[in-house]
Amino acid sequence: MEKENSSAGADLLIPALALAFVVYFFVSTAELAWEAKANAIVVGTVLVLLTIAQVVRIVLRVARRQADLGMTVLWEPRDVAWKRVGMVAVTAVFIAALPWLGLTLSLWLGMFAALWVMGLRRTRILVILPLATAGSCYALFIAVLDAGFPRGPLEALLGSLLRLGGA
Amino acid sequence: MTWQFLADQFATQFGLWWVIWPGILLGIVVGILPGFSPQNTLIMLLPLTLAVPVEQAFAFMIALYCANHLAGGVPAILVRIPGSGGAAATTLDGYPMARKGQAQQAIVLSFTASVFGGLITTLATLALLPWLSQLGLYLRSVEMVVVMLFGLTLIAVVAAKDALKGLIAGFFGLMIGAIGTDHIYDTPRATFGFLELYDGVPLVAALIGLFAISEALVMIEEKLIVTEDARERAMRSTWADTWEGIALTGRKWWHITWTAFVGLFIGIVPGAGASIAAFVAYQQSRMWSKTPELYGTGIPEGVIAPESANNGVTSGTLVPMMALGVPGGSTAAVMMIVLQYHGMVMGPRLFTTNPELAYGVFVSMAVAYIFMIFTILPLARYMARIVLIETTYLVPVIILVTAVAAFVERQYLFDMGLALIFGIIGYIAHKTNYHVTAMLIGIILGPLFEQYLVRALRISQGDATILFSSPLGNVLWGLLALSLVLPFWRTWRQKKALAAAQFGDER
Repeated sequence: MEKENSSAGADLLIPALALAFVVYFFVSTAELAWEAKANAIVVGTVLVLLTIAQVVRIVLRVARRQADLGMTVLWEPRDVAWKRVGMVAVTAVFIAALPWLGLTLSLWLGMFAALWVMGLRRTRILVILPLATAGSCYALFIAVLDAGFPRGPLEALLGSLLRLGGA
Repeated sequence: MTWQFLADQFATQFGLWWVIWPGILLGIVVGILPGFSPQNTLIMLLPLTLAVPVEQAFAFMIALYCANHLAGGVPAILVRIPGSGGAAATTLDGYPMARKGQAQQAIVLSFTASVFGGLITTLATLALLPWLSQLGLYLRSVEMVVVMLFGLTLIAVVAAKDALKGLIAGFFGLMIGAIGTDHIYDTPRATFGFLELYDGVPLVAALIGLFAISEALVMIEEKLIVTEDARERAMRSTWADTWEGIALTGRKWWHITWTAFVGLFIGIVPGAGASIAAFVAYQQSRMWSKTPELYGTGIPEGVIAPESANNGVTSGTLVPMMALGVPGGSTAAVMMIVLQYHGMVMGPRLFTTNPELAYGVFVSMAVAYIFMIFTILPLARYMARIVLIETTYLVPVIILVTAVAAFVERQYLFDMGLALIFGIIGYIAHKTNYHVTAMLIGIILGPLFEQYLVRALRISQGDATILFSSPLGNVLWGLLALSLVLPFWRTWRQKKALAAAQFGDER
């Protein structure tokens, strides 16, 4: 068995998510034909039983004072917690900005911000690494594969320059 | 099929080296990058493969497909991010080996196990094709339901160590896999109102979130992926480490052989695929080992079993396509489209009407594996250096570039957001020891499991006892129960032996 966490509250998060999803699935498919919900009934029932077993196990551990209902395991070590939150925030902003700024510019800015959040302060690397990453992604996804990424001002500029060069 | 015929086929395929090399190189790139699947790449290259003669098109597709299966293990070993679902089991011992400073040996082992596993099973397929093609016929929907549950349970019990948490993760994955329209009436279920989820949860977004993003969020805690000792060792790595990996392969030849056959047999079952094969091989390898407790700590057998099996699958997947006209997986389906475009009719008659193509496919695969070993082995030493990069640089690149890769499969921005959400769920799972691999395999198997379950239940008009009506299915149910009970029994026995030893010491 793996070493159990003393803050067992965090151990309840995945079962809680699973349980909430099963309930949502059952409610949203209540009116459908049996073929549409047979799988969810079989899998969902097993999942609910497993979740109950896990909850009982945690309650017993808490009752025996072997664990508490804290969630500290998710934030430790505390000195890097803000970096983690920062990385999630940078990624979310990067995805949200993609339709306006286009792949290349938003990736360059996203990489710059992510490296900054990670504690990097060397200007040369802060400029070059995002430039290399964004440039490689532009070359692969837009220039070579012509994937349907949102195009922004930089792609428009590069596209017209390339067309001009081609002409 | 005569020896002369085979010799001619090998000579023809070696002559197609100029098609096979680019296929291998592209397959390696596609395999290393999470988000790029061989079927998507082949779809993008359809204009090329439809334009050239069928022999050349097939040699190219086969080389790309096999190289893809081989390369998926590289990021799984180096940064615990499998390039594809089939390489998920490789993370279990490959990553701990890299952390111990044995990344180079682990990569070489993964390459050699993949190549020899693939080569052995390809040659076996060539010899046994008429018999192997019948195997898939014995597995109907009832048996397939048990096979899926068997695979998932093995993963949950073996990979997660804490069986209850592993099972919760696995069944949660199965439940997530049920999102989307149902198979009979096409009514949307549990889509949270998003049109993008009507086709189900995109597997690439789930893979990237659960493995790449969540792992990067955990990685932040350390300066380097490897320990300081392992770093010193990795810094001093030489070509001798590559030779050490090759020598290990020689010593473990039997292990490579039998785990590759596990992959071959599972590959023949339509839909089962590399993910299940790799885990079943890993579990079997652990079960028959004299030191099962060492699995998961970074041992060569733990890398060999999944890598050999997921390449054993490559020839198995093509068997039902060639012999029955039923593609064994999505990549095989794309290949079948190309063959049909060229006027080839799949099925038993192919072996009499066009034996050059029917057997040539497997000869082409054998030749691709031979070329592959010389292409990729020298690269192992340089690939292994990735573990020396500080996480300050590695984490932003992993998170943002894989988020970009999540877009590629379906070209929806929604998938990038979904990958981030899966990343957060994966992070919580990592921190609380709910195995993300079990969750991912559940998501992969979810739609297929539902398809077989509903098919079986429709046959019986809703009577669930049909699931226990087949002799083969019942044997599989028995094995499933055994695989659930055995780990608990083993732990109980170990505890009893330990207690007895302590009692003896005290006396």
